[in-house]
Amino acid sequence: MSDFDREIESELSRVLGPVDRASIPAWRAPASGGVMKRLFGGAGAALGAKLLTGFAVAALAAAGAGVAGEVAVTGSLNPNDWGQQVVQQVNTCKDTLRASGVRGIGQCVSAFAKQHGKVVSGEHRNSNARTNDHGNNGNGNDNKNKGNNGNHGKPSGTPGKP
Amino acid sequence: MREEEAAGEPDYIPGSAEDFERLYRCSYRRILVTLIGMLGDPAAAEDCTQEAFVRAFRAWDRWKPGAPAEAWLHRIAINVGVSHWRRQRLREAGELVKRLGRPAAPASPATIAENTELGRALRKIPAKQAAALVLRHYHGYTNREIGEALGVPERTVASRLAAAKARLRVELADWVE
Repeated sequence: MSDFDREIESELSRVLGPVDRASIPAWRAPASGGVMKRLFGGAGAALGAKLLTGFAVAALAAAGAGVAGEVAVTGSLNPNDWGQQVVQQVNTCKDTLRASGVRGIGQCVSAFAKQHGKVVSGEHRNSNARTNDHGNNGNGNDNKNKGNNGNHGKPSGTPGKP
Repeated sequence: MREEEAAGEPDYIPGSAEDFERLYRCSYRRILVTLIGMLGDPAAAEDCTQEAFVRAFRAWDRWKPGAPAEAWLHRIAINVGVSHWRRQRLREAGELVKRLGRPAAPASPATIAENTELGRALRKIPAKQAAALVLRHYHGYTNREIGEALGVPERTVASRLAAAKARLRVELADWVE
């Protein structure tokens, strides 16, 4: 080794030696994954999951509201069952009233139909009523449409009656 | 003689976060020293050291236990240092062009403190030559070890060292005499 080499080594030790005794900063492992993972990971993922859950719950609630009322009354998801339920109710009313010697099934059937009408009416108010006013804006037809709500099966006025 | 050499190369498991932290503790200062020797700027060297360890961590599961871990780290760190050195040179050239005809800005006290004769001289030689010089004459690596660390043949290391010393002789002419 030449004198020049020794001088270089000596000078390097003098200049860099203090650095070799410096404190070491704590190691913090970087987040793994690429840009997309960083964006959609962590808090982003939690927020995304919450939003998705929110949308899913809202969609299920909207879909469920429509059928829940029907199911509550008819016990079935099929609207055709409502007709059968009415027929069955009429027969039940007839048998019950006949046995008790009372005539006229109007009150009996009306009570059943009223119950269904209330459910359907509430359902309209909660969901479809907001979007079902196509062409009715300010034309005074709202009352006509609403007039039938809640009156399913209710004995109507006799047509042509003064 | 390095402590790790005396105790033998520690066993590391590629991909193990705990082992990487151990490697970090064992090698941080040595990598920092190499980069300070290369760049002559402690703040830039610290940034490059951190970046080198981050890059190494991302590649840690691909590290082959057959190769010395510190040499592998040095290779990454020197690549980071060379990139920084090139960017710095470009920036300095741009500033020089802007400054033409104007008085030079005064150096900060910190810069003056860092400006030893050797530090100034090292900054004037190419980063790869400065790295070879520090690895050889400060860390005590052999030319073969430096070649393995940098991924170059041993004779390339020898020629880089010779070129570095020739340049230093010129730069340090007054200091040596």
